[in-house]
Amino acid sequence: MIQDLVVHLVYIGYALTVLLLFGTVLTWVERKQAAVMSDRIGANRAYIRIPFTRVKLIWWGLFHGMADGLKMIVKEDWKPAVYDKFAYALAPWIVFTPILLVFAVIPFGGALEPAKLFAGIPAVAQWFGEKTYQMQIAQLDGGLLIVFAFGGISVIGAMLAGWSSSNKYSMLGALRAGGQMISYELVMGLTVLGLILIYGTFDLTAIVQHQSGILLGFLPAWGVFYQPFAATLFMAAAIAENKRIPFDLPEAESELIAGFYTEYSAMKMGLFMFAEFIEIAIIGALFTTLFLGGYNLPYMSDAGFLLPGGHEIPLPHGVVVVIQLVTFLVKVLVMSSFQILIRWSLPRFRYDQVLMFAWKFMLPLALANLTVTVVAVWLLQ
Amino acid sequence: MEALLQEFDTLLLYVFAGLSLAGAIAMLVLQHPMRVAMALVATMIWLGAIYGLVGVHFIAAFQILIYVSAVMVFIIYVIMLLDVRDMAYTRRYAGLLIPGAIAAVVFFGVLAATLWRTVEVPLTTTAAFGIGQFAVDFLQQYWLQFEVTSVLLVAAVVAAIAVVKAGGKDHG
Repeated sequence: MIQDLVVHLVYIGYALTVLLLFGTVLTWVERKQAAVMSDRIGANRAYIRIPFTRVKLIWWGLFHGMADGLKMIVKEDWKPAVYDKFAYALAPWIVFTPILLVFAVIPFGGALEPAKLFAGIPAVAQWFGEKTYQMQIAQLDGGLLIVFAFGGISVIGAMLAGWSSSNKYSMLGALRAGGQMISYELVMGLTVLGLILIYGTFDLTAIVQHQSGILLGFLPAWGVFYQPFAATLFMAAAIAENKRIPFDLPEAESELIAGFYTEYSAMKMGLFMFAEFIEIAIIGALFTTLFLGGYNLPYMSDAGFLLPGGHEIPLPHGVVVVIQLVTFLVKVLVMSSFQILIRWSLPRFRYDQVLMFAWKFMLPLALANLTVTVVAVWLLQ
Repeated sequence: MEALLQEFDTLLLYVFAGLSLAGAIAMLVLQHPMRVAMALVATMIWLGAIYGLVGVHFIAAFQILIYVSAVMVFIIYVIMLLDVRDMAYTRRYAGLLIPGAIAAVVFFGVLAATLWRTVEVPLTTTAAFGIGQFAVDFLQQYWLQFEVTSVLLVAAVVAAIAVVKAGGKDHG
């Protein structure tokens, strides 16, 4: 019982650290990648000096995220005369909290056996016993539903922020945010249904375990190879859900001056920004879990590598755990970087185009994809 | 420590029940439409937490997915568009105060009487009622009710559009 509590507290600590780190690092990635893509040098000024020396750690400007965070925290929290003070203060948290909670159901590693991990220290190994734990905070049979449930709550935060600010730009931003997020959440749900049909489960751990095999002898059995079409639609809908370019109509800087959070300053505004960057990582994690095999490395199982051709390379448990954790993080980082690539490549839609794109283009495509999947699954059964 | 963890579920149940009750009371007492909606959202979320605690996680997910992120989002959308200078909602009591109060007393009386008679509430767990079992029950026994509901909803949408069209003609 207490062992369970300890293991899960460690998981929660790990998840929070990873998410907050991703949120900070991605702000830097966004700037640096923009710079690389437009052939500039980019963020390279922030540094940490080792005390009592002249050694400056610049590390390609990696500390810009920390500098931003510090600036947000110590800046004056300017309070405008808003329409509803309570809703105004509450809104950033309604946006921020559900995004952190979504990670609770995402598996970030395979099975963990504390007894094997601490085999060198018999007392600890004995205390943990023979139990295995999935590396996931909450293993629920409706995991994917929980993701969408929490995703829906943050819409309310964006709408509340715009409404309570008593600013017409904020109001317009909130209206746009509401309409856009509802539309794209529907598309996102429909794209995932095909995968649910193939895997036959809502449990994200089971979905990842389904993807650990081999397809046609050489391909890893990842979701993206079963449902390439759904993967594309899911990514587009997820970027729209996160309100980023080319779908950043709710916060369009040039016309709405940051839209629903125009009236926010200091760390309250920082929470909106932080939520956006953490959601990039969450979308990356979801995409990895659903379509890229989660923590699975091709040809690798919990025992070690099994290469095509029958070569076996057994690995100790600790190494397997570390490889799985790192694989998941690398995949998430690559998918986050891909989203930032899109952000700096495409121009912004018009608002009517955004909604038309959702209802007249993506929704029919998602339905067609679902129909084809249903027929294929039915024929193959 | 072990015993404390065993009792932790019960403690959480009381906390969630208290919070959802507080939300429900706030919904009745507050006056501004947006505050009322927020109180209702809070109640829904804490009810979802209770479902999660009982072990039917997917019912909790449905509770939040359907009530909070679909129904309440639309209600908040409408409230956002209300004219904030319209002071109709600042009146404390509506005209039907006395009949309403009598109905409330009767309702709570019936509720209390029912609770008095049935003390034991049977609780299900995940093992008994997982999402697979739910899907089977839903598609084999309750599909007709579900479809009838959707027909009713379509009728309601048509009626709403008709009302809007008719109103538009009167006001030019």
